[in-house]
Amino acid sequence: MTQIVIVDNDGREVEIEVSDGTSVMEAAVGAGLSGMAADCGGGMACATCHCYVDEAWYAKLDAPSQVEDDMLAFAASARTETSRLSCQIVIGPELEGLRVTLPDTQY
Amino acid sequence: MPIDAANPVPTSYPRLAGADQVPDHVPPELIRTTGLTFGPNFLAAPHKFMADMHNDLPPIFFDVSPFSNQWCLTKHSDAFFMLRNPEVFSNEGATPFPRDPNDYFYFIPIEIDPPEHNKYRAILAPVFSPAGVSKLEQKVRDLSNALIDELIDAKQCEFTTDFGRPLPVSVFLDIMGLPQEKRDTFVEWAVDLLHSNDREIMGRAMHSITQYLKEAIEDKRQNPDDAVISRIVHAEIDGRPMSGPEIFGFVCFLFIGGLDTVFATLNNMWLWLAQNPDRCREMINDPDNIDNQVEELLRCFSVTFSGRMVAKDFEMRGVQFKKGDRVTAILPACNFDPDIFPNPTEIDFSRPRKPILAFAQGVHSCMGAHLARLEIKIAIQEWLKRIPEFELAESAEIIYKPGGVVGPEYVPLVWS
Repeated sequence: MTQIVIVDNDGREVEIEVSDGTSVMEAAVGAGLSGMAADCGGGMACATCHCYVDEAWYAKLDAPSQVEDDMLAFAASARTETSRLSCQIVIGPELEGLRVTLPDTQY
Repeated sequence: MPIDAANPVPTSYPRLAGADQVPDHVPPELIRTTGLTFGPNFLAAPHKFMADMHNDLPPIFFDVSPFSNQWCLTKHSDAFFMLRNPEVFSNEGATPFPRDPNDYFYFIPIEIDPPEHNKYRAILAPVFSPAGVSKLEQKVRDLSNALIDELIDAKQCEFTTDFGRPLPVSVFLDIMGLPQEKRDTFVEWAVDLLHSNDREIMGRAMHSITQYLKEAIEDKRQNPDDAVISRIVHAEIDGRPMSGPEIFGFVCFLFIGGLDTVFATLNNMWLWLAQNPDRCREMINDPDNIDNQVEELLRCFSVTFSGRMVAKDFEMRGVQFKKGDRVTAILPACNFDPDIFPNPTEIDFSRPRKPILAFAQGVHSCMGAHLARLEIKIAIQEWLKRIPEFELAESAEIIYKPGGVVGPEYVPLVWS
């Protein structure tokens, strides 16, 4: 289990214990966070699990794939330098303390 | 073995129907004949019928009907699982819409499973994604107001004919890159195909639609633009151009999937609005909450179902599904699951947001969901701005016809 922090779209900081191998998207859906939609369930087909990764953590993640990069351009909230699709961030012990923020809206 | 989307062949999956075609592995105590989508109890009040399924039926049951025998899921969590696990619950062969076996095509992308599925879907992401759809806002507002201009002075209208059908058809024509002059013809084709219940009329409508769309496809080949048909015609899958049946199946699916569902959704909502003037006022007085209002109305007035083929033996809630079984998630019932939405039939615009299944979920979740949300939101905003008080015409008879898309046939309205 790894502990991460997700800041929901109402500014609330939620600490979540996540089983290694699950995605940040799945963790947010499991916690019932209102800032997460994740319509396609991890298929990189909908751009509704957009999140902003804290700068310090962004460089520690594997780079987004071409498909993810393309989809991020279609998210409802503005893309930034540290935008990711949360379904593509898979939790492992190296991400203990990871902090991401959900955008105001996913669609 | 995955299907070859470029070279479609008619599906060979058998369809079981009737009491004498129940597989041996189905326990007798789980067999029901509910009349879902066609029985008198369903047609009398379909959404109430589906909400009551949580009291009246086991969470998973095997529904037997003259049209199709299948497992039915009513629990939100079971449907969620089904929709998110395409390796167990496949879309190949799961779409019941009949096609000419001599000119066969797959509905794309709905009949294509991952990983191929996403290659098709990605082609239209620039149009149907949240960011793509937001560019259409002003257009939809203008089209809505043009329709209201035409009907407002009469102080009465038949909602579906005057607004509910033409609005989504106009938006569709624009997105597809087809001329607005075709609006009334398209409405007619859609109605003939989906609501006539007369095989000859349906066949003629399908023929007209096929011919028109094929001509439009050829036209876009020569005259490319930014709109959807042209994007499909000129797109590549794994570096190859799409075949004729692939292009047609993609374009045709958008027509079938994108019109009737929106008609029915708007009809359901306007029927409710007309019967609940106090709730209209509540919505008008809380304009910043429009997104939650739309989401809650979508929860309570979902219009369709999601079918899958079981791809490998699987157990759910102690029930054994066998490879080749058909499973249907009764999405409107799932949205009334009291475990997820307490007091499920109460329309509450301050409900904590949970994933609704109006647009299904998972890789096959509705590609037009964001567009539908936008159309509904703008239609409500513009209508209530100009016609804040309205009611059902006294003579109105609300009728639901059998079928896989649930909404009243006509909604006659009056206002003063």
